[in-house]
Amino acid sequence: MAETPEWVGLSDQEVVLMARAGREVAYRELIRRYERPIFALLFRMVRDRELAEDLSQDTFIKALKAIESYRPEFKFSSWIFKIANNAAIDHLRRRELDTLSLDGSPHAETPEAMQATALQIGARQESPLDTVEAKELGGAIESAIGRLRPEYRSCILLRHVEGRPYEEIAELLDLPLGTVKTYIHRARNELRHALAHLREE
Amino acid sequence: MMPVPGSHLTPDDIDAHLAGGLAPAPREHLMQCPACQERADTEREIVALLGALPLMSPAPGFADRVMARVAIPEPLATRPLASIRRRIFATRRSTAIAAGLLALLVGSMAGSVVWTLGNQETLAAVGSWLAAQANQAAWIGVRGVASTFIEQPWFATLKTLAADPGRLGFASALAMLAYVAGVLALRRLLALPAQQVAHAHA
Repeated sequence: MAETPEWVGLSDQEVVLMARAGREVAYRELIRRYERPIFALLFRMVRDRELAEDLSQDTFIKALKAIESYRPEFKFSSWIFKIANNAAIDHLRRRELDTLSLDGSPHAETPEAMQATALQIGARQESPLDTVEAKELGGAIESAIGRLRPEYRSCILLRHVEGRPYEEIAELLDLPLGTVKTYIHRARNELRHALAHLREE
Repeated sequence: MMPVPGSHLTPDDIDAHLAGGLAPAPREHLMQCPACQERADTEREIVALLGALPLMSPAPGFADRVMARVAIPEPLATRPLASIRRRIFATRRSTAIAAGLLALLVGSMAGSVVWTLGNQETLAAVGSWLAAQANQAAWIGVRGVASTFIEQPWFATLKTLAADPGRLGFASALAMLAYVAGVLALRRLLALPAQQVAHAHA
């Protein structure tokens, strides 16, 4: 759904109020605003496109069904990211994931399934980098993120991919601020070591 | 080789550097320390790479699939109205009862308007009588309260106190002080906690 002028400038809280008033279009607007960041976070957490899609659906269904209990003095984004992160962590706890495969889900059994679940690396916007180089760098960092501990992964994705402030991450992960900072520093450190070979080349 | 001033950058310093707000002392160190420079450059590069990760979308039709499993509540304002309407038109009998009640309501309202217009003098007389009765009852009440007050054993003491302006002023000041102390204590007791508690249920 394209963003109509009616929605431009409306805060999440205002859209939530309209959803509570029973307007389906407001529900769809909330999905439109958050489907990509939520899906991206979940995909990078669980490394499986199909599973990320299921978890994203569950996240939205849970959030939208509980829209009456959402309290507007808190950020809607924090609320929905918290639900998504909890879904991913619960899943990872239930099933210990194999190491990342950029060629597709480690659970895919056929070449078609591998292709369907493969990570598509590309630039967010036009990049001055050569496509091959960008793909190599992008692939390397995706791969390195996939090898991080889930707690580090949540923190680093929320901080540097989603751009959430430390305080918000601490609140939505129910962690002390100092722990969040430590996780992010350690995650950056691990990524630095993982990408060292590319820098040397 | 000149010694590098200060200690190596802490993770917090690196954060500050990435945010462009490094304090002067670590900034001076950074400018002269090749190890810290390399670390800061690498971290900046990593943060840039993370920020440039591709945005991903779920498969087309995602919103439809979600909405198929979410029941949208009826608008709050129309919920009771819609419910009443459904009940009224549920059966012929309920419709007939609703119509009868409506006719009774409209009929009684019309009847009372017609009677009021035809009996304005009677209504005025009744109104005056009621006002006089209320006035009399109020006076009886005031006199009763006053005589009860006068009969109290402490009334004589209060009267003596009121006769001396100095004592009266002192007693008033004491009462005012007690009142202010009470208000302040209540405000402190009723103060809301400053910190809000996160509530997300997930």
